[in-house]
Amino acid sequence: MTTVLRTEELRKQFGDLVATDDVSLEFDDQHVTSIIGPNGAGKTTFYNLLTGVLQPTSGEIWLRKDGDMTEITDAEPHEVARSGLSRSYQITNIFEGLTVRENLQVARIAHEGRTFDMRSRPDADEELNEEIDDLMELTNLTEIAETKCDTLSHGEKRNVEIALALAIEPSVFLLDEPTAGMNPTETEEIVSLIRELNRDIDATFIVTEHDMGVVTDISDRIVVLAEGAVLADGEPEAVLSDERVTEAYLGSETV
Amino acid sequence: MNPVNIFPLIGVGDVVIGLSLGSRLFLIAVGLSLIFGVLGVLNFAHGALYMLGAYFALSVVTNVVDNFWLAIVVGAIAVGIVGAAIEVVTIRPLYERAESDLDQLIVTFGFVLITHEAVRFIWGSQPYSTPMPDALNFTMSIGGSQFTAYRLFVVIAAALVMVGLWLFIKRTYFGSLVRGTSSDREMASMLGVDVPRLYTAVFFAGSFLAGLGGALAAPMQSIGPNLGEAVIIDAFIIVVIGGLGSLSGAFVGAMFVGMMQSIVPQFFDAGSIAVPFLAMVIVLLLKPEGLFGGIGE
Amino acid sequence: MSTQNDGLVDRIGNVGRQAIGNGWTTERFALLGLLALVVVSVGPQFQVYLFTEFLIIALFAVAFNLLYGYTGLLSFGHAMFFGAGAYGLAIVLRDYQSAIAEIVGTGLAPLATFVVGGIAGVALALLIAIPVGYLSVRLEEIYFALITLAFGMLFYSLLLQDPYGLTNGSDGIFVALGGVELGGTEFRLAGRRIYYYITATVVTISIYGIWRIVNSPFGTICKALRESPDRAAALGINVSVHRWMTFIVSALFVSIAGVLIAGFSSVATPNEAHWSMSATPVVATVIGGASYFGGPIVGAFLYHYVRWGISRFPALEAYWELFFGIMLIVVVLYFKQGAAGGLAMVGAWLRNVQAAYDRGGANAATAFVRESIGEKLGSMMSRSTTGRSDDGGTDR
Repeated sequence: MTTVLRTEELRKQFGDLVATDDVSLEFDDQHVTSIIGPNGAGKTTFYNLLTGVLQPTSGEIWLRKDGDMTEITDAEPHEVARSGLSRSYQITNIFEGLTVRENLQVARIAHEGRTFDMRSRPDADEELNEEIDDLMELTNLTEIAETKCDTLSHGEKRNVEIALALAIEPSVFLLDEPTAGMNPTETEEIVSLIRELNRDIDATFIVTEHDMGVVTDISDRIVVLAEGAVLADGEPEAVLSDERVTEAYLGSETV
Repeated sequence: MNPVNIFPLIGVGDVVIGLSLGSRLFLIAVGLSLIFGVLGVLNFAHGALYMLGAYFALSVVTNVVDNFWLAIVVGAIAVGIVGAAIEVVTIRPLYERAESDLDQLIVTFGFVLITHEAVRFIWGSQPYSTPMPDALNFTMSIGGSQFTAYRLFVVIAAALVMVGLWLFIKRTYFGSLVRGTSSDREMASMLGVDVPRLYTAVFFAGSFLAGLGGALAAPMQSIGPNLGEAVIIDAFIIVVIGGLGSLSGAFVGAMFVGMMQSIVPQFFDAGSIAVPFLAMVIVLLLKPEGLFGGIGE
Repeated sequence: MSTQNDGLVDRIGNVGRQAIGNGWTTERFALLGLLALVVVSVGPQFQVYLFTEFLIIALFAVAFNLLYGYTGLLSFGHAMFFGAGAYGLAIVLRDYQSAIAEIVGTGLAPLATFVVGGIAGVALALLIAIPVGYLSVRLEEIYFALITLAFGMLFYSLLLQDPYGLTNGSDGIFVALGGVELGGTEFRLAGRRIYYYITATVVTISIYGIWRIVNSPFGTICKALRESPDRAAALGINVSVHRWMTFIVSALFVSIAGVLIAGFSSVATPNEAHWSMSATPVVATVIGGASYFGGPIVGAFLYHYVRWGISRFPALEAYWELFFGIMLIVVVLYFKQGAAGGLAMVGAWLRNVQAAYDRGGANAATAFVRESIGEKLGSMMSRSTTGRSDDGGTDR
């Protein structure tokens, strides 16, 4: 078991508001970790710090890259992604005007560092498209490969969302509310997809999720955030029976 | 050049010319900034509306009644109505679209072309001039330079518009609705503000100001079908320097550009056109929100 | 990639089969386009002249659309590169013709000067596009439009006020392409037909180059930036560097059009760099349909020929801008796919009519026509009553 991602007293303040309060966490390469917490607990800010969208006020972020821990605290989003940390979005963020295949071509071209290649043609590139075919097989997109994304159903778009993030072969995969807006059937499908991915792919999974059923289903470890700080961290049973956790949740839900 | 000598070179006369140019520019730009501040629409047709104000006033004076002051009021209101019609018919359908900023810019650019040709069709291509009202058609001497009184009147009129608009936004109920909607459209809508109607009203007001500026400046400039295209670029420069959506910014930006146009050519001839654009580039790069704040400031 | 190993002849054969085979393939369009170029060349001299200018505007618009339709950035300052191309050629022709003649001999000098001037024009555009692009792509949407407008006008005012005595102010520089002497025969480069061949060749190669670029990995990334820049960044794409590169590539092709226009109109004036010139590709592209590669070409055709057509009627004098103003508004509000989208729809409809005819003869075809028109009218009515406009599910 090796550490692949580590934050050291990571802090983000917006004026007087402390959105991330000295969070120090380590993530290893074997477990699926869920980050939960009531609304406004700072999950999104934490993700934005990890992915370089926001710059921390203080603290450090380290990511394992080519076998060594490398500091990515000040890296820009594209540098973070190139270092092996990939994310999916809570509000679906895919290339709506392109087909599913084209979406994945974008990701593969970026991953292979061919963004300035003006000569070859992605459509005629068999190697590229075979990789994409495999990826679509894995994420149940084969049948809609040539469909433009703005005509897809919500559930299908969520699959594209995950496939995009996977296509850059991340070592750390952050899933932001993967079941957001899904019906029970779709939720079940995505849960089994995540399980399958965790088994087949050599990547660390970190998930934020509000559906407690899903959380207990997929997690090996749960981190609870409240008001930006780590409230509890450990195995699901221990964390969920922690009184402070129940209090934080009930407290917020009765408001 | 010895820096000590620069200041004596800028006479009082240059400053008055700068103020006069700046006042005219302020009247062009203020409505553009108002509309952007509230609606988020960059109205490319604003210069065309300014031009229409001049033509409308001209037509009233020559064809209807020979009363300059009435012509200004009629011209401004007529332009306001044209602007409101443009908003209702062609801009309102675009608010719902995601990322419609560029579409709005292109649609309003369409009106630049249409107005240009409509004006040529109605009034022809020849340049016109409006006579100055007799009461203000005399020269005064300030700091050794001669000015017609009308130029000074325009400076005062611009100041009055600025103060009036400021009081209107800060002190009236309608002004508070405008400020609220400009900072958070959805919230205003939930609080019961009829946002579409407010938008049309603001578009009317901004267009009215454009028409007012055009009518007021009519005696000071030659009126032709290319006037709108010439002034819209000045207006863009001003609202960018002052900050898109800021009224006081429009005032300061206009005075800055007016002074530039009056003073810079004396030092280096090649600069009078280039300097405002350079200033625009620098502001966009360093402080794209402009040198001044939002609509209420 | 199987075609890569095939011989050139096979590949040409392939393209040829695609072009004359069934279906409206890209190859067939390309073949028809080339045929049209040849047909025009034997037409009346005035038509040749008119078509030459259309080709130049088409290249201008296609190059502009690499940035607008494909990458999502609306530049209102591309005339600066149009002007740079024109002035590069003009200055070389004015100042270096004799120096070049000393090297290559008087016979070939005009051609060599034209080529060197063209390269100078493109190089000048490159020199401007690198810093201007770097600074401009930090801004988005209308702010990008405004900063490109400002840079363009800055360049315009330099050309106009001529601080270094290089551009001859508002009069501009006369561009005289000479005659080339080859083996006893003389070709006047500025001759309408000769200049048409030059333009047609350069424009065809340039547009093909742009077509390859939009269909390359580079172009795929451009489309991704248009759709969602932050998602692209999260996949490891350096958004501002890619936009910068696209800006430069677009500027280079625009400058080629600028070089051609200077030779075409025999003069380079500051008007070539004025913002109203920047509006030309905007109008052509929007009307033609920014979501299609061929959209700007169709738009440039309309722009150019409608203008010419209207000017033929004295009663209308030259009120062509009115037409384009209305077109612009109608297209943006109701038909985002533009004229190219309209053509594609008509083409699809005609194929359906054909299919109906094949199935059930003339009656079936008539029935289909009646039905589809009724449907279309119905949907237009319902659209206008809901007040919501449809962006047409474009490929944007």
